[in-house]
Amino acid sequence: MPKCTINGTEVEVKEGATVIEAFKKMDEDIAHYCWHPGLSIAGVCRLCMIDVEGARGPQIACNTVVKEGMVVTNQSEQIKDIVKWGMDFHLINHPLDCPICDQAGECGLQEQYMKFGQYDPEMDQRKVKKRKVVDLGEKVVLDSERCILCSRCVRFTDEVSKTKELGIFNRGDRSEIGTFKDKPLNNKYSLNTVDICPVGALTSKDFRFRQRVWYLKNEDTVCNGCSTGCNIKVYYNEDGLFRVKPEHNEEVNGYWMCDDGRDIYKFANKDQRLLKAKKFDGSTWLEMTAGKAMQDLHQNLFNDVKTNCSKVGVVFTGQYTNEEYANAMQTFKSLGVASFFEWNDSESTKDEFDGLLIRGDKNPNTKGLQDEARNHSGLKSLSDAISAVESGQIDTVFVMAPENISVYPNYQKTYESLSKAKNFIWFGANKTEGFEKTSSANTYLIPMKSYIEKDGTFSYHDHAQKFFAVTTIVAGALTLSEAMTLFQGKELEFELRAKPMTSLKNNHFTLNRGKL
Amino acid sequence: MNKVPQPNSLSNWYLPGIFKGLWYTLTNMIKNIFNRKAMPTLNYPEEKYNYSSRFKGNHILTVKKDGSLRCTACMLCATNCPAQCIKIDASEHDDPEVEKFPIKYEIDILRCVYCGFCEEACPVDAIRMGPEWQTPGLGNANFTYDIQKLAYRANLKGGIQSAVDDKERHKAGI
Ligand code: SF4
Ligand code: SF4
Ligand code: SF4
Ligand code: SF4
Ligand code: FES
Repeated sequence: MPKCTINGTEVEVKEGATVIEAFKKMDEDIAHYCWHPGLSIAGVCRLCMIDVEGARGPQIACNTVVKEGMVVTNQSEQIKDIVKWGMDFHLINHPLDCPICDQAGECGLQEQYMKFGQYDPEMDQRKVKKRKVVDLGEKVVLDSERCILCSRCVRFTDEVSKTKELGIFNRGDRSEIGTFKDKPLNNKYSLNTVDICPVGALTSKDFRFRQRVWYLKNEDTVCNGCSTGCNIKVYYNEDGLFRVKPEHNEEVNGYWMCDDGRDIYKFANKDQRLLKAKKFDGSTWLEMTAGKAMQDLHQNLFNDVKTNCSKVGVVFTGQYTNEEYANAMQTFKSLGVASFFEWNDSESTKDEFDGLLIRGDKNPNTKGLQDEARNHSGLKSLSDAISAVESGQIDTVFVMAPENISVYPNYQKTYESLSKAKNFIWFGANKTEGFEKTSSANTYLIPMKSYIEKDGTFSYHDHAQKFFAVTTIVAGALTLSEAMTLFQGKELEFELRAKPMTSLKNNHFTLNRGKL
Repeated sequence: MNKVPQPNSLSNWYLPGIFKGLWYTLTNMIKNIFNRKAMPTLNYPEEKYNYSSRFKGNHILTVKKDGSLRCTACMLCATNCPAQCIKIDASEHDDPEVEKFPIKYEIDILRCVYCGFCEEACPVDAIRMGPEWQTPGLGNANFTYDIQKLAYRANLKGGIQSAVDDKERHKAGI
């Protein structure tokens, strides 16, 4: 393990590590655009300049391997000057787009200009104009004027997604990023290029112009789009969630996530959610709060379930947390109910894996569900449940419905088949408008919290991850555990928890209003 | 600095204060009857005070040469607004040179404190504070001003042109 000295402090790094990694380890400022820890080294931006003691001249930190006893600094006047005018060179043809650029507020150029640049431009020639608003594919838009040709996006499609759609075309100041003629950027990981682009050259069609980034807070959580469980950051404000970006976790997802996972914020937003509990008593739908509905359920059905426990079925999906499964199964077991079913619309593809991140099992917690059920009487399949309902073997069904319904193509069909039962209790986060009318039974619809709003643990295919509530979107919704407590006729206990306002510090513009 | 009169033995009594006030009213009334020009009160709304043309009153959204809104929906005004009374929804423009434009721009004028920070923040002279200062309305009046009102209200005669023009800027090589 070689040791080196970075700006006067000694640091030990891994064998073969580069100087820029040592800088990052020390949290020392160093200008850079093209280096990305998840990609190969390109050394094209020439901003990560350092002085190495004994070397002939300045070097680039991203392509210099640390050697034992190396003494490195980037504090000398000469280096600062090189970086400053290097930055000027990058910005010669850069348009004055910040007001309409989606990257503004989290832009590498803005940040590094304030840190290392702050020069007065000395260019008196006209700017080279390039193509704007180029449609690269289904999800990504390119603005070649803003591109600084760091080649991160090209390296991403070459090395990580291995789809090789992007390239740099032309030469000199006419160089441009582009796709080969008939091959749009449509791979399953394309939005990662937007994340790693240090400027606003690549933007996401989904997020474009919907919010300014400084209006958003962010919080870490995990993705529930499949059983990989990428670590993510969700960006939200009082209007709901707006986007999802990957967070680095070497053991799970590295620096990346798939494009489908970035849509998970959509089902959690208010316009997709069941806001109030509903009860159908054979003729009309009554709206009530979730707590009221659970009390009602306790009075009407609790004793019934106890006495008729052999005619009760509980259908689970792999979209709830371990804690909720434990609680719910315990509750039903104590009532004597033993028929547990598993509903999984991605059953047939559940062992598929694309070699990078995407897994065929589109539930985050199938493993947690199956592990928990092993402590009880195991899980039967959904078709068993449907036939039992049809034959009248089961007349009371509790359904723990999925929240990410985009991976449940049979969502409505299953609702319709199961709602033929005499008593039908549906716990779900999504709105059921459009098909709730088909039910003729004693039906309850109980709004559930999405996983963004609760604490819990998911057991993914080979690891478990704990996550914490990010924000509240539907105030009246319950977790499954809360619903079970109320179902047993007990009171809810509230734990008031002061949340540290970590995200506030991200909101630089609001905090420094008037001082900028 | 104003001196706050301390209570004295006289102020414990009711009538001396009343007469003092009535005397003050009477002398002023007589003064105003004989010298009406010096009277500071205006008979609003028949008489109006003329403020300077630089008075910062109701907002104006400026327009481009073709009459469309100058605003690029950068939201710097909304960010800078201390009353948080500006609401903007941006959208994608068909013309790639314009790229972004507001489909909704609303100012909740009753929350506005007329500080002028929005005007100061705007990078393209798209919002100005005009000399118009009267904002009356009846009970059901709409005090949330939208694009129609801010840019194209009748007394702006088709819109005020912005001083910043993208086409000219591009021609100059910026
Ligand atoms: S890429 Fe950065 S510097 Fe360039 S226009 Fe966008 S925000 Fe401004
Ligand atoms: S589009 Fe972005 S990531 Fe790709 S080369 Fe240009 S600046 Fe770099
Ligand atoms: S004048 Fe001040 S308070 Fe009113 S809209 Fe502008 S910034 Fe906001
Ligand atoms: S008025 Fe000016 S500052 Fe406000 S959004 Fe429009 S361009 Fe930006
Ligand atoms: S980061 Fe080293 S050359 Fe770009």
